[in-house]
Amino acid sequence: MFRKILYLILPVVILLAACSPSAMNTPLPQTATGLTQPTLVQTQPAPIILTDGLGRQVKLVSPARRVVSLAPSNTEILFAIGAGSQVVGRDELSDYPAAVAGIQSVGGSMGNFSTETIVALKPDLVLAAEINPPELVKTLENLGLNVYYLPNPTTLDGMYANLRTVAELTGHRDETSALIQTLKARVAVVDAKLVGSSAKPTVFYELDATDASKPYTAGSGTFIDLLIQRAGGLNVAATLKDQYPQVSLEELVVLDPDIIVLSDSAYGETPQKVAARPGWGTLAAVQKERMYPFDYHLLSIPGPRLVDGLEQLAEMLHPELFK
Amino acid sequence: MKRISPFLSSFLLLLLALILSLAIGSVFLSPAQLWAALTGHGTETSRTILWAIRLPRTVLIALTGMALSGSGATYQGLFRNPLADPFLIGVASGAGLGAVIAMSINWPYSFWGLLAIPMAAFIAALLTVFIVYSLARVGRTVPTTNLILAGVAFSSFATSLTSFLMLRSTNEIRRALAWLMGGASQSDWTAIIAIAPYLFIGLGVLLISGQTLNLMQFGDEQAQQLGLNVTRAKTILLISASLATAAAVAFSGIIGFIGLIVPHVMRLWWGADYRRLIPLSIISGATALLISDIVARVVLAPQEIPVGIVTALVGAPFFLWVLRRSKNLGYW
Repeated sequence: MFRKILYLILPVVILLAACSPSAMNTPLPQTATGLTQPTLVQTQPAPIILTDGLGRQVKLVSPARRVVSLAPSNTEILFAIGAGSQVVGRDELSDYPAAVAGIQSVGGSMGNFSTETIVALKPDLVLAAEINPPELVKTLENLGLNVYYLPNPTTLDGMYANLRTVAELTGHRDETSALIQTLKARVAVVDAKLVGSSAKPTVFYELDATDASKPYTAGSGTFIDLLIQRAGGLNVAATLKDQYPQVSLEELVVLDPDIIVLSDSAYGETPQKVAARPGWGTLAAVQKERMYPFDYHLLSIPGPRLVDGLEQLAEMLHPELFK
Repeated sequence: MKRISPFLSSFLLLLLALILSLAIGSVFLSPAQLWAALTGHGTETSRTILWAIRLPRTVLIALTGMALSGSGATYQGLFRNPLADPFLIGVASGAGLGAVIAMSINWPYSFWGLLAIPMAAFIAALLTVFIVYSLARVGRTVPTTNLILAGVAFSSFATSLTSFLMLRSTNEIRRALAWLMGGASQSDWTAIIAIAPYLFIGLGVLLISGQTLNLMQFGDEQAQQLGLNVTRAKTILLISASLATAAAVAFSGIIGFIGLIVPHVMRLWWGADYRRLIPLSIISGATALLISDIVARVVLAPQEIPVGIVTALVGAPFFLWVLRRSKNLGYW
């Protein structure tokens, strides 16, 4: 009898525990909506009309004050341009900068966003990115939300343009111009240092070597490839057709890179472990101990931290120029 | 259990699941707020959440559960095989291939462009069933064993091709995985209107086929001698079940286990008479998938787990419990 009751009650208890108010988002502060009114009257700003990456026209009466970011790159951009305090929701995978942890998550790490959480946050702008499917944009649009789809950049200039777009949408034009100047200056420093070097080391950028006999790397058409070139190196996988190809160890031995960038160091890969992998000992990079742990976020997220990635790569590839 | 009417109790459970599905989500709405939103009052946010998010999702999930479970019961009867599920002869792998091919194309952002993936999944699923059926044909008959073998072989082929395409188009891999694990988080009324006709035709035919399926349990030859045109019955049942399944997976992705296990639970509880088994499976399929979807929404809220993971995670222990305490030894 007791068991019967337990079977009946258990699912109910689990469901109730899962939907208790404490697990939900806190009520919205009413001040945010109250603030918009006076600024509107005082400045009478012209409406912001921009065409997004899906060719949709997005119109904002005034800069967005409650933004939900649907991708880590968008979150980073928002914080970098000084719009961090306007972010009221973010996708589950956003983890930079650290302040992001305190912002309401709207899900999405498995492709599924909680649309009701997004609606409840009452955003005046939802900033989507290329990792979000167009169906999601349509769904949010149908719910009456203002969605801007930010396409992935393919060049550093494209990344700057994205910063400007987000600045336009959130009202941070001046700070962003200054930020772009700083970023450009940092890139120029790297470029200037590399002028003196003629040698271009060959680089293998290891994305994942769970199967050490055929690790994943980045081919042409990726930011990784672009920034390896910019940092004065040659990506050994640049000739491969796929963006993220799997290379056989045999092929890698033939390519024999000078340098191995361990972007999977966050998953516990170390130079020592690489040297111990069967068949890897003959590689020049292993014998000269030129294997470097690297934070994969820097080159995987198309935001301002790409410049950090470029600086770190340049120093790895040409340590003699960065003394 | 025998004293309660199976239909009444199934309907009551479905009603409870429907109410829970509307009441529970990642955003907490109190009963008072829910009632206000339901009657057209309350805040705009709670009205949007209830009417534009939870209601269409609940309807789509219920319809999907009905289609998968009804087709599952039919396939089990048709093949006289307890392991049969609606995906046995390739609907899932065909739909998956179609969806992944469609995902690799950059469709314009328009009404039809946004429908490209579900349409491709639906058409590919039906095409797969047609190919398997043609391959399994021997003269004028369609031997069941041939159907299963052709189905399994073709499914493996389509699944491999799908995996290959997914690896080639790394950009879409997350989207493809989410679809293949099942989930209807992006549901709206367009989806429901698009699939409803196929679901109702498919399930309608299955609902009146109970007697046919009962006869088929005697085996092809005996059923034929009892006056059933076995080949024609098989064809009609296959088409109807596949139509319903293809429509169900088009928007919801591949949701496993429901179509296999709900009919078995119904059989254990209420017996193997297909005149009752088919409608009961349809009703309870909706209930089971709704409950799985609620779990998928709340366990990691506001994260959502693909419902295809939850169906087996919640469904398997439940089924084993039903199986363990069943006194009905030779239920199959």
